[in-house]
Amino acid sequence: MSTPVLNVWNAEFAYRSRKALRGVDLVIRRGEIYGLLGPNGAGKSTLIGVICGRLKLTAGEVALEGADPWNTPAARAALGLAPQEIALYDHLTIRENLEVFGRLSQVPGKRIQDAVTRAMNLTRTVEREHVPVKHLSGGYRRRVNIAAAILHEPRLLILDEPTVGVDVDAREALDGVIRDLRDSGVAVLLVTHDLEQAGALADRVGFLKEGRKVLEGAPRELVRQAFGEEMEILVHLPIEASPEQRTLLVGEGLEERGSSHIWAKLDKGGYTAAGQIDKKLRKAGLIPNEIRVREPSLHNLFTLVADWRRAA
Amino acid sequence: MTLAMFRVMALELWRDRGALVMTFLLPPLVFLIFSTVFAGTTGEDIKLKLSVADQVHSPDSIRLVKALMADPDLRAEPARPDTGEAVRKRVKAGHADSGLIITADPKAAGPALLVVADPSRAVAAPLTQARVQAAMARAMPEVLLSRQIDETTEAIGGLTKGQKDYSEEALSTVAAQAGDKDAFKGRGLFDREDIAGAKKGGGTIAYYAGAVTILFALFSAMNGALSLIEERRSGIADRILAGPAGLGPVVRGKFLFLMGQTVIQAIAIFATAQLVYDVPVLEHLFPWLVTTLAAAVCAGGLALGVVSFCKTRDQAQMLSTFIILILAAIGGSMVPRFLMPPWLQTVGWFTPHAWAIEAYQGILWRDAGIGLLYRPWIVLTAIGLAGLGAALFVARRVRA
Repeated sequence: MSTPVLNVWNAEFAYRSRKALRGVDLVIRRGEIYGLLGPNGAGKSTLIGVICGRLKLTAGEVALEGADPWNTPAARAALGLAPQEIALYDHLTIRENLEVFGRLSQVPGKRIQDAVTRAMNLTRTVEREHVPVKHLSGGYRRRVNIAAAILHEPRLLILDEPTVGVDVDAREALDGVIRDLRDSGVAVLLVTHDLEQAGALADRVGFLKEGRKVLEGAPRELVRQAFGEEMEILVHLPIEASPEQRTLLVGEGLEERGSSHIWAKLDKGGYTAAGQIDKKLRKAGLIPNEIRVREPSLHNLFTLVADWRRAA
Repeated sequence: MTLAMFRVMALELWRDRGALVMTFLLPPLVFLIFSTVFAGTTGEDIKLKLSVADQVHSPDSIRLVKALMADPDLRAEPARPDTGEAVRKRVKAGHADSGLIITADPKAAGPALLVVADPSRAVAAPLTQARVQAAMARAMPEVLLSRQIDETTEAIGGLTKGQKDYSEEALSTVAAQAGDKDAFKGRGLFDREDIAGAKKGGGTIAYYAGAVTILFALFSAMNGALSLIEERRSGIADRILAGPAGLGPVVRGKFLFLMGQTVIQAIAIFATAQLVYDVPVLEHLFPWLVTTLAAAVCAGGLALGVVSFCKTRDQAQMLSTFIILILAAIGGSMVPRFLMPPWLQTVGWFTPHAWAIEAYQGILWRDAGIGLLYRPWIVLTAIGLAGLGAALFVARRVRA
């Protein structure tokens, strides 16, 4: 097992009387992608603030490369942050932006150009290095946003919602960049609501809820532990169900999934159960567009944790 | 939809209490200050600072000096030493708006009073004459009448005994009316002398070159400093704060840029002044450069200091507009300070504008040396460094 880059022990933090972190432990190792998940208000931003040395813990400890980032600039030098916003200067080109952030990250003057080229290569942005950021697409800007965070070769890279506002192609490109960074030995803390991305990329994920870490582990393992043999059955309806049809769907244990046209349930019966549901719906005059059976994902686990029904 | 957007704007302003207060409280405050500044420029309430030397020391000249010192419409002060040269120096250095040298007994024929004027304060000379004459008419009207009688006698070749008796009686009557400003108004009393080396209009050009330089220096610096707030909003500050350097280098880098911006603006303004109006900038390059650097430090530091304490762009914009307008008005960028009430002239010394204008005009108009310039340099630099210090202090404290 590789060396921990970040250790957080029993972290507690309160904004006046409101406790935002309640005894969080966290270890992230070199060459690992850790997905930090949780609903809004779970404490993710507070935990990032603590790791970045911007918030001082009210109790507990944090060590980044062995030192507290709150009072040790050298510890903060081991950290790169790609904020949720596109934190770049719009009128500057990619290279000019990276040169600025390289200097602000205390990259020695002689090494700036090499560092910029390396960051552009890693994030695959070198071919547009002389284009002002304001002329780049959303996905491209996201990659430059990451490039600006890795100029000083940080040991821990924090990516805060790196896929907000990007299309599927751009997200795949970003995923490739993040994997490359991981493979180069960087520890990546991926803070995201994009559960599909977290499931695909993260070696481990941790769920925060109300300031506590309620689950942690490898995504597949967590899903397997939570759902065992259960499969997810998804029913896509061509029209909105009538009240009678809704009664039938609910009676089969299905729940609406984000739209009145999509219903889903977890069932150990898998394909057999899906076939039975299809028959009953057709009999009631409701012919589905599609019934899909698939393995549960982090999304199901996230819903579970957020609902706090079976996690307890 | 129209109302929805109206509601958005209203709620945003309502919930940004700092911006709300500034939006509705600053305008009446600005009105009060502007009305005070500009109401004085009609001439009625101007209290000139007058340096007075008596070279005669006759009973009437001594009476005149006393009358001037007691005149509530003037701020007269005796020259030290009591010589014409001392008066000229005071006016040339800008320490007095104009000077008055009593060169002959006021009762004697011909011009007895020499007004020493600075053409950059052109209005001061006629105002001085008017004020002195009014003071004489109040305090020593018989002297004015006596001068008139003497002039008339000389013109018509002498008076008869009856006319002489009548004039003696008139003089006694007018002398008894001393204190009444309408007792008698004399003529032909004054000579005028401009301070040495003065060229028509040059002092005013030097004045406004300095005034516009410091006005735009602060205006541009405030705009540039707003980028501190933009960087907080765009996440750039988050990125930098997560690193080892913190925001200190950001503030210092912006300070250097704002300084450079001011220097280039000043070069553009004074190059124009030299090319178009022959203002002798190149002849005074060193003190001009030091003054410009001091003004640049002042503008950059003050702007960063002010913006650092604002949480939103709205707050910063309102506050910087207020500061720019008020400092410019009080400090003399809009109207010369000697036209303002004395108390406002004193307040003006708390603005960088007054010091910058004083320094530029001192260099380019009065050939001022280090002895006169070191104070503006120190004040401007100190204001700038204090602002920069405040901005760095805030930058060190800002983490979350």
